[in-house]
Amino acid sequence: MFWDIVSTCLSPAAFAAALRLSCPLIIGSTGGCFNEKTSTGNLAYECFMLTGAFFGAYGSYLTGSPLMGSLAAILSGLALAVIYGLLVYHLNCSAIIVSVAYNSAAWALTTLLLVVVWNTRGQFNDPSIVSYENLNWDVLRKFPVLDMVFNNNIPMVYFAFAYAAAGYAVMYGTPFGLRLRGVGINPEAAQAAGINVRKYRWICLIIMGASMGCAGSYMPLCGMSLFSENMTRGRGFLCLTSTLVGKGNPLRTMMVALLFGYANSMTLVLSTYNMPTQIINMLPYVMVLIVLLSIGIKNFKGSADISGDTF
Amino acid sequence: MSDPKPSGRAIRQFFSPEVGIGAARYVISFAGVLALGSILILAQGEDPVRAAALIINGAFGNTVSVGNSLRWAMPCMLTGAASIIAFKSGVINLGIEGQMYLGAFTAAVLGSFVDLPPTVHALVCVVGAGVAGVICVIIPALMRLFFSINEYVTTMMMNFIATLFCDYFVVWVIMPITGITTVTVATPTISKSARLSTLIRGTSCSSGLIIGMAACLSVYFLYKFTIKGYELKQVGENLKFAKTGGVDVKRTFITIFILSGFLGGLSGGVEVTGGYYRYVSGFSYTMGWEGIMIAYICNNNPIGLIFASIVWGALKTGAMSIERGTSLNRLTVNLLQMFFVILVSINYESIYHYFRDRAKRKREIRQLLASRADEEEGA
Repeated sequence: MFWDIVSTCLSPAAFAAALRLSCPLIIGSTGGCFNEKTSTGNLAYECFMLTGAFFGAYGSYLTGSPLMGSLAAILSGLALAVIYGLLVYHLNCSAIIVSVAYNSAAWALTTLLLVVVWNTRGQFNDPSIVSYENLNWDVLRKFPVLDMVFNNNIPMVYFAFAYAAAGYAVMYGTPFGLRLRGVGINPEAAQAAGINVRKYRWICLIIMGASMGCAGSYMPLCGMSLFSENMTRGRGFLCLTSTLVGKGNPLRTMMVALLFGYANSMTLVLSTYNMPTQIINMLPYVMVLIVLLSIGIKNFKGSADISGDTF
Repeated sequence: MSDPKPSGRAIRQFFSPEVGIGAARYVISFAGVLALGSILILAQGEDPVRAAALIINGAFGNTVSVGNSLRWAMPCMLTGAASIIAFKSGVINLGIEGQMYLGAFTAAVLGSFVDLPPTVHALVCVVGAGVAGVICVIIPALMRLFFSINEYVTTMMMNFIATLFCDYFVVWVIMPITGITTVTVATPTISKSARLSTLIRGTSCSSGLIIGMAACLSVYFLYKFTIKGYELKQVGENLKFAKTGGVDVKRTFITIFILSGFLGGLSGGVEVTGGYYRYVSGFSYTMGWEGIMIAYICNNNPIGLIFASIVWGALKTGAMSIERGTSLNRLTVNLLQMFFVILVSINYESIYHYFRDRAKRKREIRQLLASRADEEEGA
């Protein structure tokens, strides 16, 4: 029994599932890294993702092309990010309240659109929502294990890794990335050095919105061809947690997202063996606490103390 | 500066820009929501006036609907009070949802597995729920206190941990014990002695409403009339001043967390003992988050919170009735509520100041130019 479970957990199929499940997390959290590094205070990940999922399905339904679906999802994320930016940077709303309202509104908005556009409740399943086709690499077919893990995925899965690498290159290899990190570490100093802080926050917010929208479009277009109520089920928050655990470094965040994807695939395995899945699901959130603790431990002054500044 | 005529001062204060902006905030938000609501309803091919009438009728039309409105106002009051305590003192407690779940779970367990006389039993359940809420908030509090880790991320993570923890216990411990094999993840129904009494006959409005109102009022009195309340507020408004003034900042800070967590847990306990009579997985449907938003709407005023909660509950009940009466979806109302929150959260004061300063600057420039022109003419 125990060895059965272990062998299933370590089987190529489990790793392949982990790869697929972590794809939206990687795309989303790479965008989230930019958001995190400039400390825009945006927590509305779930909203961007759920709206992206709806518009991904809708765009694909209208045009019959999954690429257009993803584009629609990106545009929807962009639009929401622009509204968020206007509210928070120009009308001085509280970022946390707007985030909370965004997250709560997302469920209502997408379900309402589901009813208005397709006149169904619960879920909409239609072949007109065209999914991405699986890519089949001939090179990989010669190696059985690699073939099972890396072959036959939709293009978005490969795109996710390229995107994370590109995010890393931009953040650590360009002047833009340097300034961006400067804005996050010390906004006043960055402002004094002649960097337009608001501009950088705007850019990062838009990158984040677009990536989260794109990540959302993975779910309806990964082969299921359906959109259902609250389809993301907290995956947006998982993007936030992987960003936090990865401390805003795109590559490290990608590794964390892969781990979360693997944990996610474990829940599928464990539920077939009738084992508690809740504990595994808890893992990402407990990890955030541990990581924050490991950062915060150096602030420990021997006794309880309150200072205004936190991180 | 003293004013010779107090009444004149009062009148001037009444019409001061601050009050005007405060009123404008709500008027603009309400107008915005009405406009967007009309558009949304017209887009779905219904009459906005009829929908509004249905909402009001569904919320206050008869005794049953009033009772239901008050029943949904009940959790809002408690979660709102929890967030008011936190926000007033500068603590961002986003974990009310998790505290609520843990509280509800504790109340359900105490309610179905412990035998006690009627009133005591309900009381034990509710207080136990509050204590569970405190347990849920104590980890972020200690992390903030010892390691200065920002509490809004940790409390948010505690939401998920608490929810999953409760689900785990219900599925793997309680459901096997009681032999329930339903699809819904739920505890058995709590015993009759643990239930709060019904306040309005024939509705689900229980005496939890009294607990909610009492919580709001005691928060009001705490901040208005007690030294402890003043200290709590001071810590949020100006930490350094509070420290210099000799406030025991650490103890005050942990008090804020504990009070907020207690009220958060209480809301879950009241939901179980006065509403659902059992713990159902996913029962809250963002109720904890709504508390945060309502607290923001009423500008952290506990008395305003009572009214805001009643309006919120009425909208919830009214939304059900427009779904029955028209082809509209009740989520339309939900969306409008969120829109209202966003509009209210706009900082109208800073916008007013921006435009006032700009007008002032323009006037000054004009005067300067005019005086220069005069000088040139004179020369």
